[in-house]
Amino acid sequence: MRKTMIVAVREYLVSVKTKAFVIGLLMMPLMMGGSILVGALMEGRVDTKDKRIAVVDSTGRLFEGLDAAARQRNDSAIFQGEGAARKQTLPRFVLEKVDTGTTDMQRLSLQLSDRIRKGELMAFVLIGPDVIDAGKAPGQSTLDYYSNTPTYNDARQWLTGVLNEQIQQLRLEGAAFDPKVVRQLTQRLPVGNLGLTEMDASGNIIRAVETNQAANFLVPFAMMFLMFMVIMATTTPLLNSTLEEKTQRIAEVLLASIPPFELMVGKLIGIVGVSLTMATVYLTGAYAALNRAGYAQFFPWQSIWWFLGFLCLAVLMYGSIFIAIGAAVSDMKEAQSMMTPVMLMVVSPMFVLQYVIREPASTLSLMMSLFPPATPMLMIIRQTIPPGIPVWQPILGAVLVILMSLVCVFAAGRIFRVGILMQGKGAKISEMFRWALRG
Amino acid sequence: MIRRQMNVVEIENVTKTFGQHVAVNSLTLAVPQGSIYGFIGPNGSGKTTTLRMIMRIYHPDPGAGAIRVLGEMSTTAASDRVGYLPEERGLYKKMKVSEVLRFYAQLKGHRNPNPLIRSWLDRMGLLEYSDKKVEVLSKGMSQKVQFISAVLTEPQLVILDEPFSGLDPVNADVLREAVLELRRKGTTVIFSTHDMAVAEKMCDFIFMIYKGNKVLDGTLNSIQDRYGQDTVRVRVEGDNFDARTIPGVEKVNDFGRLQELRMTPNTNSQMLLSELMKRGRVEHFELTRPSLHDIFVRIARPTAEAMLSTEQSGAAHA
Repeated sequence: MRKTMIVAVREYLVSVKTKAFVIGLLMMPLMMGGSILVGALMEGRVDTKDKRIAVVDSTGRLFEGLDAAARQRNDSAIFQGEGAARKQTLPRFVLEKVDTGTTDMQRLSLQLSDRIRKGELMAFVLIGPDVIDAGKAPGQSTLDYYSNTPTYNDARQWLTGVLNEQIQQLRLEGAAFDPKVVRQLTQRLPVGNLGLTEMDASGNIIRAVETNQAANFLVPFAMMFLMFMVIMATTTPLLNSTLEEKTQRIAEVLLASIPPFELMVGKLIGIVGVSLTMATVYLTGAYAALNRAGYAQFFPWQSIWWFLGFLCLAVLMYGSIFIAIGAAVSDMKEAQSMMTPVMLMVVSPMFVLQYVIREPASTLSLMMSLFPPATPMLMIIRQTIPPGIPVWQPILGAVLVILMSLVCVFAAGRIFRVGILMQGKGAKISEMFRWALRG
Repeated sequence: MIRRQMNVVEIENVTKTFGQHVAVNSLTLAVPQGSIYGFIGPNGSGKTTTLRMIMRIYHPDPGAGAIRVLGEMSTTAASDRVGYLPEERGLYKKMKVSEVLRFYAQLKGHRNPNPLIRSWLDRMGLLEYSDKKVEVLSKGMSQKVQFISAVLTEPQLVILDEPFSGLDPVNADVLREAVLELRRKGTTVIFSTHDMAVAEKMCDFIFMIYKGNKVLDGTLNSIQDRYGQDTVRVRVEGDNFDARTIPGVEKVNDFGRLQELRMTPNTNSQMLLSELMKRGRVEHFELTRPSLHDIFVRIARPTAEAMLSTEQSGAAHA
């Protein structure tokens, strides 16, 4: 056991001292800090140059209102801050009325397109003559926006809103309705999204709180993604380190001092330590970030121990498989092909993620989360989505994963023992199974 | 009981097979305490397999004999009292020299190896590399680091697989001196080598394994006695001198200035001398026993082709 721990400590220190590990740890705060920083920098640097938009109004009744709305927007809606801090953050929309005259629409469209190419205009709108006629089907009346900057959507969205409002108003007036009354009558009401009403210890009924849709979705997803990331970041390097010990003949020196099974278990313990370190750093960072933003109540304290427990088991399960592959192959190229099926197993929870998040309590979700390779990640998702799951489910899942991990560790131990001293060509998968079964 | 105390390693009738390949066949061997025991034999003949079995990295075929190391029969744990230098260097490239040595020493159960590491690095002239990564070391340096890792914890038995291969004469001398000092302190040393001159000069006992079978085992004297005084070293000045044409000469090893002639049994050495004198001016004539080199070649050469194929099939295991 002492020797196992010596191996574990070395594996741990070597892993946490690598550049990749330190960079991986710094990545999250860097990315978070980076996006905030970039956001802050970009905010002052929006392109506020005027956007000129030509409007061809075949109805002759829409431009006035549109232009008025544009002027109103330019006077108020494009600024942020008050007083001296008032700053323009969005570009002005400057509309230009184009008369149809005698030119036909096709030619006019070409002329305006040419002006966009020359940079005189940003876009133009063609308003068909029948758009106000409510009797026409939507496909027949045309309202078209032309530009060569299809990803800039602000102007099109603004035009859509303002034009529709005006057309609606004109239609209502045409039908002799009072638009004001109609608006009031057709106003939509939001539907509240609440949790359950509870009773506190003294018998008072506590009003249910508004649930946070984003948090309900994001927390389970973040937990699963964190587990996935830590598993990938810590177990795959085991393949490399085992392969190094094999090809550099370090294994022979080690095996002269420690039996193969103890050596492998030592490596696994070291890597479990690495993954716990990584998870702790990330969870602490996530809590600090949530706390700072005032969302500390969304931190999933209730499933944190399950998370760490399942993480350890997943690392043992996958780590032992990667060690076995590292011991059986003779170079990285051979390892790649064997890694594919294992990788598929690791990412398998991702395929059913959407379904499990939508219906965490269904029988199918339960069955899938009891499939050992997927258990750690799916169980955590189902636990963190309110109202959670009965406690026997994660316990059963954990028992199955422990059994699976034991099988993996023992099989890997046998493959490791045979493979680690083999030189020359690597083993086939069939050979690996034979070693695992016969020992 | 007395014998067990005297022999550090006792191998009794041990066989080791890999699939169809018999790497070691019914081997019996005893290594006395305090001796230097040389293992020789062609590549792929079973040397490394035997050494690995003594190290308990490999286990003999079940039911086929037993290996007792330092009096222990254990089949699982590798002994902390045995040091091992494998044939190919096994050091973590990204670790510092002193870290690797500390790690290996701790694995051998040593709790505070730092002072020993310093003194050994100093002795091997590597003190300035203590904090350097292994990957910057030259081949000779990493060989010496590997040697230190084998002897650092003062084991009672040291097993060295090809310790001198690829070393320049200066470093070879340093290592040889270190091995001899181990013996002076009472450590038993087993080493394998392809250098027959080294084996002749250093080893108290020589063991040769060929195709998995023991073919020689004993002191150099006892081995040479088995072959008798059938060898003559000569230097003859003369044009077109060709010793192979002389009757009674079975084989000629031409070393350039010196030639080694092996006589057929019942050849009179005086007759040979007079034959030589007829052919040229004899400057050197020495009646001697065959060298270890010659004995090795006599055993291994007849089936050189077969050896080549054993080497290939055995490469995966040896």
